[in-house]
Amino acid sequence: MIAYLLNLATLATVFGILAASLNLLIGYAGIFSIAHAVFFGIGAYTGAQLAILFIPDVLLACLAGGVLAGALSLCLALPALRVRGEYFVAASLGLQMMAVTLFSEAHSLTGGHGGLVGIPMPTLFGIDISEPATFLVFCLLVLGGVLLAIRMLMRGSFGRALMAIRDSESAAEAFGKDVPRLKTLAVGLGCTLAGVAGALFAFYMAFVNVESFTLEQSILVMAMVIIGGTATLAGPLVGVLLLLLLPAALSFLPFIPPTQIGAVQQLIYGGAMTLLMIFRPAGLAGQSTGRR
Amino acid sequence: MLFLQLLFNGIQTGAIYALTAAGFALIFGATRIFHVAHGASFALAGYAFLMCSQAGLPWPVGCLAALAVAVAFGLGMDAFIYRPIQRHEGSFFTVFVAAFGMTIVVQSLIEIGFGRGFAVVPSALTMAKEVMPGLYLANIFWVAVGVAVVLFAIVGLFLERTRAGIGLRALSENPELLRAYGLSSRKLSALAFGLGSALTVPGAVLTAVTSGLQPAISAQVMLISLASAVVGGIGSLRGAALAGLLLGVVENLVISVLDTQWSSAAGFVVLFIFILFKPSGLFGQAVTR
Amino acid sequence: MLDRRSLLATTLAAGAASLAAPRILRAQEGAYVVGTLFPMAGPNAEYGTIFTNGIQLAAEHLRAEGMLKRPVEIRAQDSLATPQGGAVGMTKLANVDKASYVMLGFTGVSKAAAPIGTRSKVMMINGGGVGPDLANLSPYFWNVIPLVNQEVQVLLPWLKQQNLSRIALIYVDDPLGNGILQQLKDGLPGAGGSLVGSFSIPPATQQFAAIAARVRDTRPDAVYFASYGAQQAQIIKQLRDNGVSQQILTYSAGSIPSVVGLPESDGLVFTSQASDWSAPDPLTQRFVTDWRARYNSDPTSYNQNYYNAMRLFGLLAQGLEKADKPVTGENLREELLRVRRFPMVGGEGSFEDQGTMSMPMQINRIQGGSFQKIA
Repeated sequence: MIAYLLNLATLATVFGILAASLNLLIGYAGIFSIAHAVFFGIGAYTGAQLAILFIPDVLLACLAGGVLAGALSLCLALPALRVRGEYFVAASLGLQMMAVTLFSEAHSLTGGHGGLVGIPMPTLFGIDISEPATFLVFCLLVLGGVLLAIRMLMRGSFGRALMAIRDSESAAEAFGKDVPRLKTLAVGLGCTLAGVAGALFAFYMAFVNVESFTLEQSILVMAMVIIGGTATLAGPLVGVLLLLLLPAALSFLPFIPPTQIGAVQQLIYGGAMTLLMIFRPAGLAGQSTGRR
Repeated sequence: MLFLQLLFNGIQTGAIYALTAAGFALIFGATRIFHVAHGASFALAGYAFLMCSQAGLPWPVGCLAALAVAVAFGLGMDAFIYRPIQRHEGSFFTVFVAAFGMTIVVQSLIEIGFGRGFAVVPSALTMAKEVMPGLYLANIFWVAVGVAVVLFAIVGLFLERTRAGIGLRALSENPELLRAYGLSSRKLSALAFGLGSALTVPGAVLTAVTSGLQPAISAQVMLISLASAVVGGIGSLRGAALAGLLLGVVENLVISVLDTQWSSAAGFVVLFIFILFKPSGLFGQAVTR
Repeated sequence: MLDRRSLLATTLAAGAASLAAPRILRAQEGAYVVGTLFPMAGPNAEYGTIFTNGIQLAAEHLRAEGMLKRPVEIRAQDSLATPQGGAVGMTKLANVDKASYVMLGFTGVSKAAAPIGTRSKVMMINGGGVGPDLANLSPYFWNVIPLVNQEVQVLLPWLKQQNLSRIALIYVDDPLGNGILQQLKDGLPGAGGSLVGSFSIPPATQQFAAIAARVRDTRPDAVYFASYGAQQAQIIKQLRDNGVSQQILTYSAGSIPSVVGLPESDGLVFTSQASDWSAPDPLTQRFVTDWRARYNSDPTSYNQNYYNAMRLFGLLAQGLEKADKPVTGENLREELLRVRRFPMVGGEGSFEDQGTMSMPMQINRIQGGSFQKIA
């Protein structure tokens, strides 16, 4: 049981990083991306390939995954600079669908649907950290670092400028803010962190394939952020705990016939999403008045 | 000949997409709600039709049942989900998540009720005959195209000529003005949801007899509607319909040059290109950044 | 914590009836925990039900025979038929449920779950996935189903004999589909045939009219498709609707009711392991009789395989009980390596070093909603 809880905690930590990074886009910069799983995936594939081909060092994998995801975030920044609102949502949707096809077609890089198997145990500077508890501690440290960085950035001038753009782009422009640069930076930063989460995810699963980076995953992460509460530090974490632990807890319910577990889990999960949005539209950790 | 065949396949797929996307665009145009549960209306309509035909009822009864279910679901979403959220000034994404949650709920209910397999309503109309060497067409092709043309004519007339239709079109432009003229925006938004959801019915019934239904179909329909609505220019009924047709054709034609894998992604490539280079879509007003 | 926890899965002691009315149960003192990792929701859930039914019948038989000293408890996890679902579910079965023996299916799920099970020394038995990669996957991973290379090998001579030389392939782009592609590419020339076209599809695609057009364009004598779940019926129907009148071929995944019952499937030919329900041995007879009594239809090879998988657990655990050894994954594996040959439904099963099991194969044709052996 302890091993299972450790496992769940590690998964929650990885998703915590992912949700926090998406919050940077959705919450602070007002960029409603539903392509976040793409960058999570790029990080995961990069980390996995690095570990398989060269060295299973977590830190290196995180760096490589983050850098590549950050670089490719230009694909998302481009439409973000041109359109907003529903149009951007649709653009990110298009990106997500194209990326899934690319992920499943580029066999030599991603292993296609068969995925990359045999990702070695993680090490850190040559020290084995594959023990679940050790790995969890490492992931928690990364999460802590990410949250700290976001907090500091968002309290600084960068964060204030971003939020100004979010609330009114034209006003921010009038005040002399370099909107395109700020937006590109925000997208780059958010996607880099998603890449870091991806690299950790690859080590955690010891297996990656395209199914972890689909539209459903993007929407799950988005739901985590929205349900938890956008533009708050704790919000995404609350969302992660709720949406990851809910299905886990549901599978312990005694009165569901085993053949219907899946459907009933999904039913409750979907229902909870809807009800939460009706009764707590600003998210669990958000102010109850609802923002924007 | 392969090209011609794929083009005709594309038109058939596109006709279904066009109707569904037009429903989505109608709802969005009138209410500014991104109705992602539109796919769920489609799935419910399809399964209602399936249930009736399995019960041995004649197909017009099945279609009516499908219509009733889809419209009821659309109205219910408007009244019980979207309206309460909008009362709290929920953001665009709050609506998105809530509607997506309902899509999941509908999908799992269908799974519990109908099993998770694939379901099809057998029909003699779907069997293709060789009309020209190498070109196979089924009667369902003419049905799909005919239904789409007739329905678009009716909806067009309704929007142009009736007071309610004109109100619907005005709603998106200036809700305040409408109120001043004594039209209830609440009633009009219900009308938009009813009409928009009704437009999923022909697509759902045609899909039930051709490629078949499965519980997860709602997500796919939602994606196509969304993509068509954007490519067509958000809020433009005509644009969404044309874009739906375009996506259907592209999805099929792309197979003649690219690996078959790219078929389902092709529509989204078109979507992405449109957003980068012509974000206002086919018929949209210029978008402000 | 463990014993206070209410259980998802029903104990077998309660029998199948408890499925309809599950009760809160406490883990029985010392019950053997056996896990299942099948898709229970989504387009592949049909398999989850089929697999579980076989296991339940076998478990009831184990109990009726009084084969084991302790009760057996089955815990189910939903694999969603995806590698991710497999990895998560396997972790839970190994770490929370402490299952020593897990039955699973699907090539992608198995590949993801195997490293986790191996780490925790859990015996894993596959009776559904047939991707060629499932051989030599792990010392703890065993197949009670012949893998697809065996299926293709049986089909090739039949194709030659029927003068079907130009074959077009539609395959899901995953380890299973790619395995079949490789087998056909390598095998067809030797059998006097050729692969005239191969069309890969994503696992969730539903529209095949365009693919049908391309298939027709290659002028094949027969069309082989390699898919699974709900997609199969759509492929068949849409091929037929869109003017592909040629012989359609597939592998054992085509034995599920949604394919066999489809009117368009008439004439479809698929390979599977041999299932001779009239075999005289008492094991097969009891299986078939009880199956017919309960489900009013003939069992499929999946039912048979998972029945065998569960039965295998009974036999292995019985051996360990006799030798006074604890029933752990490690010991179960040793016992399997020691005995190797087991009496099973459909004949004796013998395990090879690659983790595979050879079985006689057969070719079936679907006719009027059921299938018959034709070779």
